[in-house]
Amino acid sequence: MNQEFIARIEGHGNLKIDWKKNQVKLNVFEGERLFEGMLVGRTAEEMHWITPRICGVCPVAHNLAALRAAENALGIKPNKTTVLLRDLMLCGQIIQSHVLHLFFLSLPDYLGIDRGTELAEKNPSVFKNALALKEVSDEIVYTVAGRSIHPITTTIGGFHKIPSKAALKNLLKKLEKTEQAAQKTAELCARLDYPALKVDLELTAQENDSIVSVSSLNIKNKKKSSIKNYKKDIEEEVKDYSTAKFAKYKNKTMLVGALARLAIYQNYDSEKYQIDFSNPFYNNFSQALEILFYHQTAREIIDKLLEAKMDEKIIKPKNNSSFKGIGAVEAPRGGLYYEVYLDSSKGSGRDTIIKSANIITPTVQNLTSIEKSSQALLDQTKNRSRKEIERLLIMLVRAYDPCITCSVH
Amino acid sequence: MSKPRVAIYDFTDCEGCEVEIISLRERLLALEKRIDIINWRLGQERAEFGPFDITIIEGTPITQHEIDLLKSLRENSKTLIALGACAALAGIPAIVKKEEREKWYKKIYGEKYKPRGLDAMPLSAYVKVDFLLHGCPVNGDEVVRIAEELLSGKKPAYRGYSVCFECKQANNPCRIIDKKPCLGPITQGGCGAICISGGSPCYGCFGLHQEASIEALLIILNNLTNPQEIERYFTMFLRQTDEYQNIIKPRLKNKK
Repeated sequence: MNQEFIARIEGHGNLKIDWKKNQVKLNVFEGERLFEGMLVGRTAEEMHWITPRICGVCPVAHNLAALRAAENALGIKPNKTTVLLRDLMLCGQIIQSHVLHLFFLSLPDYLGIDRGTELAEKNPSVFKNALALKEVSDEIVYTVAGRSIHPITTTIGGFHKIPSKAALKNLLKKLEKTEQAAQKTAELCARLDYPALKVDLELTAQENDSIVSVSSLNIKNKKKSSIKNYKKDIEEEVKDYSTAKFAKYKNKTMLVGALARLAIYQNYDSEKYQIDFSNPFYNNFSQALEILFYHQTAREIIDKLLEAKMDEKIIKPKNNSSFKGIGAVEAPRGGLYYEVYLDSSKGSGRDTIIKSANIITPTVQNLTSIEKSSQALLDQTKNRSRKEIERLLIMLVRAYDPCITCSVH
Repeated sequence: MSKPRVAIYDFTDCEGCEVEIISLRERLLALEKRIDIINWRLGQERAEFGPFDITIIEGTPITQHEIDLLKSLRENSKTLIALGACAALAGIPAIVKKEEREKWYKKIYGEKYKPRGLDAMPLSAYVKVDFLLHGCPVNGDEVVRIAEELLSGKKPAYRGYSVCFECKQANNPCRIIDKKPCLGPITQGGCGAICISGGSPCYGCFGLHQEASIEALLIILNNLTNPQEIERYFTMFLRQTDEYQNIIKPRLKNKK
């Protein structure tokens, strides 16, 4: 490897290849910030302020998972306006994250350039689409969350401030204009040349209150478990070469994120677009299809918000709440799980003090699979030069869109 | 004249300030034309290792590797800029006290784990820093302003007023008058009072402004809330500042 850490991924990691043994390991070097420790002694209301700082690429996902966990602990069911606005934030978040990853981190591999902004000269129409989608997704999150990174309007039970209908109408107009950019991006990714690879993985995604999984070799057979059992089913292991833990789902190597979601939700045009679910490189294509899907979903949500009366009321904590809660969100990179225990004797309501917290991020669930897929790539490309294999391995790690800072947290 | 050679590095953090730079979009393209980015791990594979005219560092140096790299970057750079609260103040990672790290390593990773992290300190604890670009995350307009000042050969200046000034401009009701704690009065402007405008508190992520009346604010805060909450406010981003360690912490201790 010519660099200490893999370039164009979020966070600090590297692949260690033992050419003699034909083995590859994923080393993670990110410093530990100890967020689960950081939360202890803080108030429930401070949790969704602190934890978005786990990741600047998917802060909205962390904000929402923290809110859901706290609301679950305090017996709060948010109103319809809040639910819709949060869903809209998440659409913006998924587009933001996928656009950043696709155009600035992964696409350069497929298009033979070094930096995303080189597209401005080499492929101006593609770059124009990238900027349009980046702008509109930042705008969605800005309009609802108050800032495009690290939300400021959200609170336990609702929003400090909700957007006006005029602001939402404005957003809808912009989305109407950028849909073509989303469409074009899907078409561009349909034409890319994905390196060959076949891996047997458990594709896993949240669906309602369940964790659903299918085999990458046969996506028809869905298996389900309850999100309540997330800690037992998603088992984390500490490795001596990594500051991030490596997880498995029911003892199987799992893959989470765009590719897994498309396999499980089937929310794309499968006649027009062919996806090989056993090839993790297709995660990049899946991200493009999700950009289109969540772009359309954002418009539908705004339509619903505009039709009904906006309810600004913040729901108060219940007196007889359990003080323990789980919050789960499908973040851009896959299932995100928060669990929080509050100390009923310290503080009250939203300001109840946190006793303990647990967070499992999507990339933790992908690390075992990145290693397995890298090994498979090494085994399946034996007739290539070392340089070429290294290039493909790094490209594979990028295709996963790992968030190493999330995985260490 | 050749273009200034620029490096962007990131230590332990969320990388949100770099995302803020990418979110500048067209303005980033315009800036890029005036510089030569020779090292940016998040953005490109191309990597040259100095000498650098301008080195921008995001994140908190937590591991020994990061501390050593920081020192060598300082030696190799004419101008060194801290990007965001983690680099400028130690920020969110410094919520965890050094003496408690051991406890949390054991609890989170188990007894056998060999940690890499030492302590969360700002860049300035180890090297001279030429300018602190504050914020969690940084404000895009401020990034452009400072970059333009640097590129035109000027020494960038800090905002000479507090968040209160911008908060008034934003027409927000005053949190302190509404009996809610706020660090706006002692915090440097430049953020546009965005958090308060969105309904959230100000925890001082832009750092203390030069003439901050910390003691006066402490008196006001003591009338509004308890020492525990005041401590939580000040330790969100400011734990590693001299002002917190030398003025605020001793006074809170006496109250508890």
